[in-house]
This record gives sequence, structure tokens and C-alpha cells, in this order.
Amino acid sequence: MTDLPADVPADAPARSARRRALPAALIGGTVILGLSLILAVFPSVFAPYDPLAFDYGAILQPPSPAHPMGTDNFGRDILSRVIHAYTIDMQIAVLGTIFPFVFGTAVGAIVGYLGGFAETIFGRIVDVVITFPFLVLVIAIVSVLGPGLANMYIAVGLVGWVFYGRIVAAEVKVQKQLDYADAGRVMGYTHSRIVFRHLLPNSITPAIVYWMTDMALIILLGSSLGYLGLGAQPPAAEWGVQIAEGKNFMTTAWWIAVFPGAAIVITGLGFSLLGDGLAEVLRARR
Amino acid sequence: MRARLRPRFPKCTNVRAPRVMLEYVLRRILQLIPTLLFILVVVFALVRLLPGDPASAVLGDRALDADVERINRELGLDQPIPVQFVLFVKSFVTGDLGNSIALKVPVSTLILERLPVTMMLTFMAAVFAVATSVPLAFLAALRRGRATDTVIRSGFQVGLSMPVFFVGLVLLTVFGARLRWFPVGGYGEGFFDHVYHLILPSITLALSLSAVLMRNLRSAVINVLDADYVAFAESKGLRSGIILFRHILRNALISTLAIFGLSIGTLLGGAVITESVFAVPGAGRLMVDSIYGRDYPVVQGLTVALAVLVSLTFLTTDLIQAWLDPRLKK
Repeated sequence: MTDLPADVPADAPARSARRRALPAALIGGTVILGLSLILAVFPSVFAPYDPLAFDYGAILQPPSPAHPMGTDNFGRDILSRVIHAYTIDMQIAVLGTIFPFVFGTAVGAIVGYLGGFAETIFGRIVDVVITFPFLVLVIAIVSVLGPGLANMYIAVGLVGWVFYGRIVAAEVKVQKQLDYADAGRVMGYTHSRIVFRHLLPNSITPAIVYWMTDMALIILLGSSLGYLGLGAQPPAAEWGVQIAEGKNFMTTAWWIAVFPGAAIVITGLGFSLLGDGLAEVLRARR
Repeated sequence: MRARLRPRFPKCTNVRAPRVMLEYVLRRILQLIPTLLFILVVVFALVRLLPGDPASAVLGDRALDADVERINRELGLDQPIPVQFVLFVKSFVTGDLGNSIALKVPVSTLILERLPVTMMLTFMAAVFAVATSVPLAFLAALRRGRATDTVIRSGFQVGLSMPVFFVGLVLLTVFGARLRWFPVGGYGEGFFDHVYHLILPSITLALSLSAVLMRNLRSAVINVLDADYVAFAESKGLRSGIILFRHILRNALISTLAIFGLSIGTLLGGAVITESVFAVPGAGRLMVDSIYGRDYPVVQGLTVALAVLVSLTFLTTDLIQAWLDPRLKK
């Protein structure tokens, strides 16, 4: 990616300048998410206290050297809770999107390739899913299945794949009209080989870019459900749960809710920067 | 001979235009029917999946069998599933959605009472979002690659990653509790008081939408700026103001309108949370309360009402788009 070809084209200065400018978002996003992942995998290494341990001798303390982000009404260390929440919230980002990504991409590829009736049916499903306020639908499903993260994954999986399907179907529809797809048919390849080995690798980029944005959205959704009491359950350390715990102390002990809120914003920013950077790099490569 | 030299434009090729538009409108309205039916099926299935029967949920564990049977009969739950579905569809066609279990009021009355509050909140949020995103997106696009652009783009990156409930909480604390500029929730009495009470909630709700709109409008404006017809308009010597509004804004708005239509569902979802944070007595709040209380006639009525509202908004934005860009009618 970094080394330019020997025969530099005439518009090289402009292009190389853009090349150098491009990855800023990508680098920023990768750094934020890399650190987030480290915190998520090894929370105990970095957290100074037990995130669930009560300490009635240190209730509602403002940020200080002993407790850099203060303590809550049970004396729990906010910094430790924020760090341990990375494990749950990063898990939400990955587990909440992996099924929609894989299933939606596969369905989208098949639908885009077949066209016709399959496309009409899929179009109707898309219409319905888009018409439902996503959050209302997820809340309704979670309320049927009961609160908790596992049920949130099911709810998101039932709905989320549609968006990937739509993106990939549109892309495959364009790709299948190109010569190489015809070549595959002429060579007598099976349909599944043409779709999954040839068309899909050429159509998956927008879906990957959307995947990054989707992870940011799913963290927002997961923490929203945590806030409403329908996602991760207290006393677990999860950012949405923490903000809900801190909402009654906003005027007296702002640190309980503000630091978890900042963690959500920073992580979301990481995903959306990575998505943006990736989109620009992949667009430039085309 | 002379007459021939004049370019001969066809007099009017557009005689079929009104018919094309009419056909398009009719086709879009017809497309709404399977969508609405599908929504009804989904909501019907969803509600039947509720663990335990609603009667026990209402009456508690120590309910008498006779009471459970009576409630089930009232709700039509003693009928076979297909019959239940027909009754279900009929109830939406006639508008008789049954009574709320918790509040003992007809569901249709509740919806008519609460939905306008949510619609007003959503409308105000949309106004805020458009009012901030259009000028900022233009500024960013016209100063592409410079400091202004970077600041605006970073701003909307952060805006996109802000959870609605957190923004609401912070605004509520700072402008409501601390500075006392705005009420700390509720809805007030009379139109102007309503607007006053909804200012903070609608700003909260507008934030993520304006970030989405801004991101899209910025790239749309950049695309239009590079188009040949803008270069032509410039070389023709048109004033930049005219180019900006007549050529750039109009064309850039088409795709933004599509994003706007698609965002209405998200916006209504956000309204559910915003209303919970600010204690606004709207449909979203009612939804959360009814879900907690297992008040399922209200849940199903509201879900369908919200979905219909979103469908109609889609239809409207689609039609406006087709009117702005005749190519879309195909």
C-alpha cells in the first residue's frame, strides 16, 4: 500500500498527498480500538480495584489520586468499573454484529445473484424492517424474551442482517453483469462458486465499511438497553448501566455517569473513524 | 428556408408527465399494502410469544380460573389462532383496538393522546437537525480539506458516537438543574409551554440525526460541486448565490431527503429514550411503561401506529424526491 509504483503518473503529487492524508482517520480509529481491545481482554491488569467491591468508607468521592474517576454511592471505584465494562461493551460490539454480517452478506449475495422473485420478496422484508423503528422492535423483542444481553443479540440478529443483505445485494447485482461473471458461467462453474468465490469478494467492501459503523451503533444500542434496564443487568459493570446508576447523582456526583459516557463516545468514535478511514482507503484503491 | 435554421424544439414532450406522476403515486400507495400486512403479522406473532398469558400477568399469581377465562375471552384469546388474526386485522381496520389493561382506557384514545406529543418532539428535532446540518455541511463542503472542514467533520464524528440518553442527561443537568434555563422534564400546559418543554429533548434527539444528515449532505454537495453543470453555470457568469441555491442545494438535497426518510424510524426509536430521560408523556414513554407492565393491547396498538407513521413518512419523502428528480419515477 505504501510504496508507490515506479512509473509515477502525471497527477502523482496530488495523489500521493491524498494518500498520506487518508489514513489519519484509519490510524486514529485503529489506535483507539487497539487500546480498547487490550482493556477488554485484560481488564484486571489495568483496573486498580475490584469493580464490584463495596467500600463504605469511601462513598461518593470526587476524582482524586486514590480514585482517579471517583467512587459511586457504594464506594465502588469508577475507573475500575469503566475498565471492566470494556469487556462487556466490546463483546456487545462483536457478538451483536457478527451474525447479521455473515448471514446478511450471504443472503444479499444470493438475492442479488438470483434477482427476480427472490429480490421482490427480499425487498418487502427490507421495507418492513426499515419501517419498524429499530429500537422499538428490539425493545419489544427483548421484553418478550426477558432482559439480558443474550436476548439482545437474538433481537438484533433477527433484524440487523437485513441491512447487510441490502448493501451486498445491490453490489452483487452490478457485479454479476460484468464480464468476469459471464466468463465464470461460460467455464461452467456452479452458481455457488460464482457467487461466493467470485462475486462476493468483489462486493463485500461496502458491507465491511457498514460493519464498522454498525459496531458503533450496536454499542449505543447495548448501552441504551442497559440504561433502560433491558440489557446487561446490575451490578455488572456496563457503561449504560453505570450511567443509569449515576443519573440521580448528576448534580452532586457527576463523575459516576460522565466517565462511562465518555468511554462510550470514545469507543464509538474509534469504530466510526475506522469505518471512515477504511472507506477512503478502499475507495482510493478502486 | 429561414424557418428551418431555427432549432426546432419539440413543442411539449411532457404531456404524459402528470400521468407518470399519478401512476407512480398509485404504485407507491399499493406497495404500502403488503408492507402494512407484514407489519401486522409480525406484531401479531410477537405478542403471542409473550411468556405466560396476559390474563395472569394482569391478575397476578393468585388469580381465579374464572377471572383468567373471562379476561382471555375479552381479549379473544380463547379463539383459534387464524380467527384471532382475522379479529386482529379487523380491529385495526375499524380502529377499535380494545382497552388498556393497566389504564382501563381505550387504546385508540391513548394513542391519539400520546402520539401527537411524540410527533411534535420528532418534528422539532427534525427542524433543529436540518437547521444545523444544512449550513454546516455547506460550509464544510465549500472549505473542503481546510481547518473549518476538519472541525465540522470531527464534530459530527463525535455527534454520531453520543448516546441519546447520555446527551439528554448532560443537557438536563446543565441547562435544567444548574442554569435553570429550561424545565427539568414534563410537557407543560398550552402550545408555547409545550414547545418550551420540548426544546432540550428535541435538541438531544436532533444531535445524531444532524450528524448523519451533515455527513451525507457534505459529500453530496462535493459531488455536485464537481459536476459539469456547475462549472457551466460559473462560466456563464451566474452569481454564486444563484448557483448555490438553484443548482447545488436542490440537487444535493435529493439524496439527503432519502437519508432523512430512512432516519425517521431511528428518530422515533430515539424518541422512546428521550421521552424516558425527560419524562415527556409521549408515545415512547407509554411504550416503555406498557412493556414493563405487560399491557399488551397498548404495545401492539402502538407498535403498529408507529410503523404506519414511519411508512407514511417514507411515502411522503419518496414522493417529494420523485417530484424533485423525475428520473426516480421509473
